[in-house]
Amino acid sequence: MATVIFYLTAIVAILAALAMVLSPNAVHSALFLILNFCSVAVLYLLLRAPFLAAVQVTVYAGAIMVLFLFVIMLLGAEKADLGSEPVGWQKPVAILLGIVLLVEGGFVAYRGIRLPDMTAAQANDIGSPITISSVLFSKYLLPFEIISILLLIAIVGTVVLTRRDRAHLREEA
Amino acid sequence: MENFIWLVPALPLLGVIINTLLGAAALRGSHHHAPGDSHDTHAADHGVHHDNGVRRVGWLASAMVGLAFVLTLVMLVQLLGQEAKVGEENGRFFDITYWQWMAAGDLRIPFGFLIDQLSLTMMLLVTGVGFLIHVYSIGYMSHDPRPTRFFVYLNLFIVAMLMLVMGNNFVMLFLGWEGVGLCSFLLIGFWFEQRDPPWAATKAFVVNRIGDFGLLMAMFAIWGLTKNAEGGALHSLVFREVLAPENVGSLQFVQTAFLGTQYTAAGAIALMLLLGVTGKSAQIPLFVWLPDAMAGPTPVSALIHAATMVTAGVYLVIRTAPIFELSPSVMNTMALVGVATAFIAATIALGQYDIKKVLAYSTVSQLGYMVAAVGMGAYGAGLFHLLTHGIFKALLFLGAGAVIHGYGDEQDMRKMGGLRHKMPRTFATYMVGTLALAGIAPLAGFWSKDEIIGHAWYGAEGGATHRGIAIFLILSSMLTAFYMARQVAMVFFGEQRDKSIHAHESSPLMIWPLIILAVGSVLGGLINLPGLHPLTSWLEPLLGEEAAPFHVGLAAVVMVLALLSGWAGFTYYRRAERRIKATHRDPLHRWGGDFYAIFEEKWGFDSLYNAIVVQPYKYLSNVLGKAFDVVIIDGVVNGSANLVGLTGRGLRTFQSGYVRSYALMFLVGVVAVLGYFVLR
Amino acid sequence: MNDVSTNAYVLLSAILFTIGVVGVLTRRNAIVMFMSVELMLNSANLALIAFSRARAESDGQVITFFVIAVAAAEVAVGLALLVSIFRAKQTTNVDDVSTLKG
Repeated sequence: MATVIFYLTAIVAILAALAMVLSPNAVHSALFLILNFCSVAVLYLLLRAPFLAAVQVTVYAGAIMVLFLFVIMLLGAEKADLGSEPVGWQKPVAILLGIVLLVEGGFVAYRGIRLPDMTAAQANDIGSPITISSVLFSKYLLPFEIISILLLIAIVGTVVLTRRDRAHLREEA
Repeated sequence: MENFIWLVPALPLLGVIINTLLGAAALRGSHHHAPGDSHDTHAADHGVHHDNGVRRVGWLASAMVGLAFVLTLVMLVQLLGQEAKVGEENGRFFDITYWQWMAAGDLRIPFGFLIDQLSLTMMLLVTGVGFLIHVYSIGYMSHDPRPTRFFVYLNLFIVAMLMLVMGNNFVMLFLGWEGVGLCSFLLIGFWFEQRDPPWAATKAFVVNRIGDFGLLMAMFAIWGLTKNAEGGALHSLVFREVLAPENVGSLQFVQTAFLGTQYTAAGAIALMLLLGVTGKSAQIPLFVWLPDAMAGPTPVSALIHAATMVTAGVYLVIRTAPIFELSPSVMNTMALVGVATAFIAATIALGQYDIKKVLAYSTVSQLGYMVAAVGMGAYGAGLFHLLTHGIFKALLFLGAGAVIHGYGDEQDMRKMGGLRHKMPRTFATYMVGTLALAGIAPLAGFWSKDEIIGHAWYGAEGGATHRGIAIFLILSSMLTAFYMARQVAMVFFGEQRDKSIHAHESSPLMIWPLIILAVGSVLGGLINLPGLHPLTSWLEPLLGEEAAPFHVGLAAVVMVLALLSGWAGFTYYRRAERRIKATHRDPLHRWGGDFYAIFEEKWGFDSLYNAIVVQPYKYLSNVLGKAFDVVIIDGVVNGSANLVGLTGRGLRTFQSGYVRSYALMFLVGVVAVLGYFVLR
Repeated sequence: MNDVSTNAYVLLSAILFTIGVVGVLTRRNAIVMFMSVELMLNSANLALIAFSRARAESDGQVITFFVIAVAAAEVAVGLALLVSIFRAKQTTNVDDVSTLKG
């Protein structure tokens, strides 16, 4: 059962990703990306990480992608890549290197790592919100606090970057 | 008092600092001209102001040296108040180490002073004569455009010379040794906008470098080879450790091979030190720089190239006498070098027309006396002659400076004559100096020169005699009297041959030092008067020399010979006066012929060195300059620049401005690194 | 319930990552490039959670949590930059932002 769900979800995730990359319309790309994120969230559930699955859907597929869509709409940038490719060999080389990277990744996935698969009983409890939060607020307390400061900086930075010059505004007005 | 001895070099150093920082301001004066002033009053005003500035700068410099002299005198009194001997050891000394100057591995160099009879005697000469010459320079340099620089250099020289004689180890000595060399270079080339001084300065510096090499080698060898009483390496350069009898003796038993010959370490070191001595004290074969050094201002010639710096070699020999004592053959060599220099330089002095060149060769000759004396082991006599010579040769140089200064900067004796009426005081003091140099009793030179000749003829008590050396020293003494008589006759007697020059007496500021030095030249013999021997007994705890007996007969013979020779020279040049013309050769040439030409040509030393060293070197430099420098050095430099340029031009294409291209590079790296781990 | 092997998850992660990489390198719309970067981050998260299960430890999941937080911050700043660039150049095409070339 789990295997079937895995393969189905995996295929959906891959197709969604490909569609995201290939779609000429940025809005479509964003929607495909949301689909990809949701299918990955399903995989998280299979990996016994329900908390992160929830975070994935709410934060990633929800907040972040909404931000993306908002910006696309705001700028009117949904159109496909404009003009011609300035560096002719960029695309073939990129695809070639991508294939090499994929081969290497596959090699790593099946030959490079030597990890025993845990039994279900052992791995049962690692993803519950209680476990995660107890680790987060004890072992990773300091990084957690730093992340909060990072987010604050990001907020301030965003405000500064998008704020229009006051003098500039007055001129326009 | 010994706590304040550091003030002796520190005061002139203070003078250097103050004059360097404030000298320019002192010269500028405080007066501002009103814009309406005429040009003439400007110039006159400027002259007065310049004079005042020179005085301010000069008196400050002089005062510093004068204070140092006073401090040295106080130090002398204190040393005299101590017991001369503690048991068998010398009791009158201070060995003060202030701090560790450098340390590396086994090497420990302290910064400290050794004040004993020898260094104190030298300090008295340096600061005493130095003070008088500073004062004289205020007058002499009053019209020079750069007096501050002059006095700064002069003070710096005093500092370096004091370091040389006061240092308690070889490195301190070397510091002073190089310091005086540097100041000598700077002061010879002081008038660098003229043609000759820069060349003379360079020559002095380069020739001295050969001697410095010897001193350095000697220092290395001393540090490496001296063993202590237990037979372990001593690894010290401190005089009182290295030269202590139980340590220095070890040098005799260490053998070193050089050019296929076996030397004892003591012999090799002594030979290297001798090389240093010949460089600094202008002995054969390295004396050629000193006569050219006369291109510098005359006070410099008096202070550095007659009274003090050139005697550093003699000081070095006396200081390191325990090493020289271990190697009689080097001592003999030194004595021969000294006497040969004394004789040859005296003959060359005969053939010179430049008033300062005569004195320069005379200085070389007298230095030869000193070196011969210390080479024969007569350290006291050598130091005695060093002191008296320092006084009367300073007097002669300053007198010559007064003549040059008062005679329109003319130095050719053939254009002078009859100046005794125009410059009576200069003439009188000059005569005192001449008689002292010629060795006429009872002036200073007589006593000191006689002590050397007596030592050579009769030998030390129980020691060997050096009759051959004595004969040549006597001959040199006769030559000295002759060339000095020639000089006096040409400069001060007869008619003024160049009527176009207005001769005048110098200012009191220049005359007073002459008078004081003249008094010193008269009384200088008292320093080591036979019968009393104050100097010898003062040095006795240090050098262990007994006072030599005075040989009346020999002294009388030498003096009579000198008198006769001087009289002959004087009468000859008075008679031949009509034949002395600026365009003609010396009247003596008629009699001496080719021999005289040899003297004129300085025995070919300069030509020889020119042919075997300077020309090949220039040729080599030329070749290297044209071939090696242009092709290889420039090729490497330009080539590397071009390489960088080309590489940059090539790499520029990678920076296209397209972020995606950079990302692609990034990916190439990622793939490569991952590939490395996969394929490993 | 028999689990899918960790290797399979890692392979899936690699595939998604490669698609993201190719997307970044080939698309010229800055927003799509940005989304491709998000895809790459997401694939890394997937691998992390797979390892977390394999080791039976929560650390991988906590790190994923951090990655999501950082990604949120990054998206905020990155989109702000895009807005600024768009204001200045009226474009979201990254190839038009190439004045800093050698």
